[in-house]
Amino acid sequence: MQSVTPDLTTRVGNVLLKNPVMSASGTFGYGLEFMPFYDISRLGAVIVKGLSLLPTPGNPPGRIVETPAGMLNAIGLQNIGVERFVNDVAPRLEDAGAVYVANIYGRTIEEYEAVARRLSDLPALAAIEVNASCPNVKEGGIAFGSSPEGLSGLTRRVRAVTGKPLWVKLSPNVSDIGAIARAAEEAGADAVTLINTIVGMAVDPRTRRPMLSNVTGGLSGPAVKPVALRMVWEACKAVKIPVIGIGGIQSPGDALEFLLVGAAAVQVGTANFRNPNACVEIVDGIRDFFVREKIFRLDDYRGKLLLREK
Amino acid sequence: MPHGNPRFVHGKILHNTGSGIFYRMEVAVPERIDFVPGQFAMVSGWPGNDPLLPRPLAIFRSGGVRGKAAVEFVYKVVGRGTALLSGLHAGDPIALTLPLGHGFEFPAGDRSWWLVGGGVGFSSVFPAAAALEEERADFEIFLGARTRDQLPPGEWIPGGAVAGRVHLCTDDGTAGFFGTVAAALRDRIDRRKSSGPSRVAILACGPHEMLKAIAEFALPLDIRVQVSLESSMACGFGVCWGCVTAIRDGEKSGYRRICKEGPVFDAREVVW
Ligand SMILES: Cc1cc2nc3c(=O)[nH]c(=O)nc-3n(C[C@H](O)[C@H](O)[C@H](O)COP(=O)(O)OP(=O)(O)OC[C@H]3O[C@@H](n4cnc5c(N)ncnc54)[C@H](O)[C@@H]3O)c2cc1C
Ligand SMILES: Cc1cc2nc3c(=O)[nH]c(=O)nc-3n(C[C@H](O)[C@H](O)[C@H](O)COP(=O)(O)O)c2cc1C
Ligand code: FES
Repeated sequence: MQSVTPDLTTRVGNVLLKNPVMSASGTFGYGLEFMPFYDISRLGAVIVKGLSLLPTPGNPPGRIVETPAGMLNAIGLQNIGVERFVNDVAPRLEDAGAVYVANIYGRTIEEYEAVARRLSDLPALAAIEVNASCPNVKEGGIAFGSSPEGLSGLTRRVRAVTGKPLWVKLSPNVSDIGAIARAAEEAGADAVTLINTIVGMAVDPRTRRPMLSNVTGGLSGPAVKPVALRMVWEACKAVKIPVIGIGGIQSPGDALEFLLVGAAAVQVGTANFRNPNACVEIVDGIRDFFVREKIFRLDDYRGKLLLREK
Repeated sequence: MPHGNPRFVHGKILHNTGSGIFYRMEVAVPERIDFVPGQFAMVSGWPGNDPLLPRPLAIFRSGGVRGKAAVEFVYKVVGRGTALLSGLHAGDPIALTLPLGHGFEFPAGDRSWWLVGGGVGFSSVFPAAAALEEERADFEIFLGARTRDQLPPGEWIPGGAVAGRVHLCTDDGTAGFFGTVAAALRDRIDRRKSSGPSRVAILACGPHEMLKAIAEFALPLDIRVQVSLESSMACGFGVCWGCVTAIRDGEKSGYRRICKEGPVFDAREVVW
């Protein structure tokens, strides 16, 4: 019997993705770095490193430290700035046939607006993902992203300056993720993405010093997955707009868990470091799972978590 | 020398054996890996997610043809990742991303190359020695260690049999020169024959203090120095910005990735 290729397409608002797997911002460079490994047009989308109005130097060294089944980073959003991205990188992503999304941040709301405005000039750009949640720079959005009011204000202002689909990336360092997600939805976000990293810390007992120059950093990798999954599930229940799930995804099975609790798509971050092919291997693994389980469409599986009747 | 594109490959360990404090691990890979001395691989072999990140190791040797290709590494056990590696056996699978980074440069010209390895740092300068030996270039090797037992076996040194070529240095005087490699280099400069090649170029890999000491005395003498730097790394191929160091850029300086723009830098550009 011939097996039917399952339909992995998914919609994030009005963005149609060929499959639900994207790269997570900050773990995939500008996408081009992965071209020696595979054809990046095979991904649902490529999300590039957080862009700011001007090039940003980032934090001093001592930026990463490994922790049990995870890592802390305090990169400080080092990036080439929006102008160089628009001129040098975006055309090459287009040539590669990639669907690409720009992740942005600003020190002020005005900077967020300026970056979003400049990016709106790119016809092929699929969406703008607003980082309202970087824990590593004081002005990295966390100030806007940690309260529903702050997030609502930021989202509304960026919404007003761009016609591009607007995804808002949420911080897990909040007490009520549902309320935060609703604030983004009400302010006009087309989707929410979560989680960004969880604030953490590591110290050296002998030298008595913090392991990171920034003292604290953002935790990512398998260690955060259960927390991320719970938050994505809560966000899915709180809003009607699509939710993009991120956090500790290493395998097709991990990605399926996020889809099952209701995520429209997922992003893969830290897993790219150990295995540069992680994203495409997850796409293939999801397809194989659907073939084995005789699931024909992603939509027949997504959000179909079975809960015991109370 | 051309720096080829990186690949992610699944290899199989051919052997992985200790010799004193160093392990030598040869890995069968699907196709031949061409590399520039100083380039490295991100290595992860152990099952499970802890430790999570691959570990950078210099490419020590590479050869063979498709179907019979192999790469070799030399490492010292310093923590969990290298301890886990040392427990792997022939036949075990291992994952490699390679070749990575910007290696040593060998501009043409009449010069004598001085290759310096401190500790396990010889793992990235021996490939340079092997390349220079093939070119029949003039080179000498300086190896530094805390004590005699921590020097690499003599038979590992490319072209090491040539009299006067290898200079051993130990902090405790148990072998060769009694003192640091930087002191041995200074001593060697003073004894330099006027009849030798007109210029000296140094390629060095080892502890940061050693590299700094070499740069401090050699740069004012107008000796060109290339150093291979280290840092914790998450990806190794330039996508996380976790491994940076401050590098001079005109009047200013900026953070450059050790895994991408490095690990080898011109010592004049490093903000020591
Ligand atoms: C480009 C590059 C090439 C390298 N090539 C080689 C190589 O060919 N052979 C090799 O043996 N190593 C090499 N290293 C160093 C090697 O990557 C580290 O020793 C390794 O990552 C340590 O991992 P671990 O899990 O064993 O130790 P960890 O658990 O990460 O660290 C354990 C402890 O060891 C300390 N430590 C870490 N690195 C070193 C070190 N190099 N020397 C002494 N103490 C250390 C840490 O600070 C920590 O306290 C290279 C590093 C880089 C950046
Ligand atoms: C090194 C590093 C850099 C990151 N940089 C950004 C960034 O610039 N913008 C952003 O929104 N998220 C950034 N993140 C967060 C990731 O996109 C992702 O939300 C998080 O790492 C959790 O997913 P993971 O466990 O799959 O890595 C970064 C994460 C890491 C590890
Ligand atoms: S280790 Fe990731 S950029 Fe260098």
